[in-house]
Amino acid sequence: MPNIKELISFAADYFPMVFRKPAPKYVSESGNRVYGMVAEFHETPKVYHAAEMVRDAGYSKWDVHTPFPIHDIETAMGMKTTKLPLMAGGAAITGVIIAIILQWGTTAYLYPTVVQGKPFEAWEPFVPIMFELGVLLTAFTCIFGMLALNGLPRFHHPLFSHERFYKVSDNRFIICIESDDPKFDPSTTRALLEKAGGSEIALIEDED
Amino acid sequence: MSQSINQIAANHPAPDITAVSDQQWAHRLESFAKDARMHEDNINLPASAAAKIGRPMLVVGLLMLVVAAIGIFSISFKHALAGIEIGVFTILAISLGSLFWTMVFHALNAGWSITLRRQFENLASLVWIPALCLIVIAIIEVAMGGVLLTWLDPAVRQGNHLLEVKAPYLNGPFLLVRVLIYAICWIGLSQMLLGWSRKADETGDRTLGRKARWWSSFGIPIFAFSATFCAFDFLMSLDYRFFSTMWGVYFFASCALGSASAVAIIMTLVKSAGKLQGVVTEEHFHDLGKLVFAFIVFWAYVSFSQYFLIWYANIPEETMFFTARRAMGFDWLFKLMLIGHFAAPFLVLIWRPIKRSPKLLSLMGIYLILMIALDMAWIILPMLNINDAAATAPSVPGMLIHAAGALGVVMIFGWFVCGKITKSPLIPTKDPMLHEALGHKNYV
Repeated sequence: MPNIKELISFAADYFPMVFRKPAPKYVSESGNRVYGMVAEFHETPKVYHAAEMVRDAGYSKWDVHTPFPIHDIETAMGMKTTKLPLMAGGAAITGVIIAIILQWGTTAYLYPTVVQGKPFEAWEPFVPIMFELGVLLTAFTCIFGMLALNGLPRFHHPLFSHERFYKVSDNRFIICIESDDPKFDPSTTRALLEKAGGSEIALIEDED
Repeated sequence: MSQSINQIAANHPAPDITAVSDQQWAHRLESFAKDARMHEDNINLPASAAAKIGRPMLVVGLLMLVVAAIGIFSISFKHALAGIEIGVFTILAISLGSLFWTMVFHALNAGWSITLRRQFENLASLVWIPALCLIVIAIIEVAMGGVLLTWLDPAVRQGNHLLEVKAPYLNGPFLLVRVLIYAICWIGLSQMLLGWSRKADETGDRTLGRKARWWSSFGIPIFAFSATFCAFDFLMSLDYRFFSTMWGVYFFASCALGSASAVAIIMTLVKSAGKLQGVVTEEHFHDLGKLVFAFIVFWAYVSFSQYFLIWYANIPEETMFFTARRAMGFDWLFKLMLIGHFAAPFLVLIWRPIKRSPKLLSLMGIYLILMIALDMAWIILPMLNINDAAATAPSVPGMLIHAAGALGVVMIFGWFVCGKITKSPLIPTKDPMLHEALGHKNYV
């Protein structure tokens, strides 16, 4: 469950005129907010084992960037299953209930209308609408829930200010630990990434 | 290089060319032989272990058939036959559905299902039991002038305009010919596929899979037509006035659902006997559960579409099918189908942990096969009453006879299945894509 600070920070990305980002935990010498720390890796097994080490150190807000999908990286990262199915299920049930209330309420309760001599409360004609509305709300929840959970769309990402980051689409693997992580500490995080075998360790500044 | 590509392209349509080179294939066979999971003890079920479940099934089955036989004298032959037919169509759905899945796996070159495929093949090759039952039933129907199929009754045919028009299709000799054709198609296809699969186990001949793939592509339409017309002949024509173009698909939904459920049950029992450790994992059960879930929804979609259009259009010759099944004391079964065959299993199987748990999935499988049998009962039993002027609402002794007949047939089929799975290894041991199934994993 995201805390209120994260929500405000999230909203501030989209509506900077309304919300102000909370005061950063770490500030660089030039006065910019510190986004996080990156380390580069050259081989798949190395980044895999480094991810395991970061996971075991108890970090929660971090990511691995790779040029191609790595099988099982989610277990190495200790990623939890997404909450999206539960949200979709809730939306489906809501849709079905809305459909029942709207149809039964209008045709059987508020304005009983004879259609083709069928009973007022016949459930059969309700079924297609129940299905449609259930699917509609589920689809919306899936799309917008997915966007909300992964923070897309966005115009810019702090990692793009790091010149070397562009190599993740070519031949590098990069692990990035965000400064919002409660365990983040410039010296211990750097020590951990060094121990994990990372090179070119650098702090990323958020230039906004 | 270009020459060899041309050669492959020229030979490509032939069914005996495979994509795996000899060298690759030798390497794969070597890795299968080295794999600890492929040890003989792990992939063979001893006959004694299967008999532990098979023998009680045989005893119960025979007992139930005796009860059904008593019903012939205490109630009527018609009721006993109806009970048997419920069971026959349940096992026909299971074995025909297995034939369908086997052919789909072959035709689509499925890798993940290789370790499940032998059980589908085994169930499919037992299609001779329901096929034989249907031949006997058809002979009885024709010889006795229509027991359940009233259109065979000369008294009904006399001066009946509808039956005169439909006579080119609805007549006794043609019914017998059709049943024989269905039986030949089903038995031929299933024995062929199981035979090649077993032969490949012994010889390691990887061209056989290619051959199976080629024949499966033709087998799927053959299956579609034979299953559809069989459902027309024995289920839809119980009321010769009724017609529905959805009927074949409706029966097919039960086929695909029943066979996937049956394989889930078999695999759970085999695994609980300590076999197939690491070969059939929760990943395979997860995908099997997805198939079961999909066909619960498919069944509901098809059966509701059929009902909905008939309900809305309100044309007498169509509506009477549902009037008979909702008003003559079978309305509870109709409602049970809505909730028990769709809503309840839908809400249960939508959860990922249930699909991934062999025990829970096989429990759902037993429940769903029961639901398929009740669906068949809902199709067959109301016609006993509507065609019989003297009949009343279903009685308790009558229902016991129906249940005994259906259970007897299903249990004896179970005994045959228990015997069949011990005859060959539990998985195809030398399939060119076995490594895909052994390392199968769901990433979602």
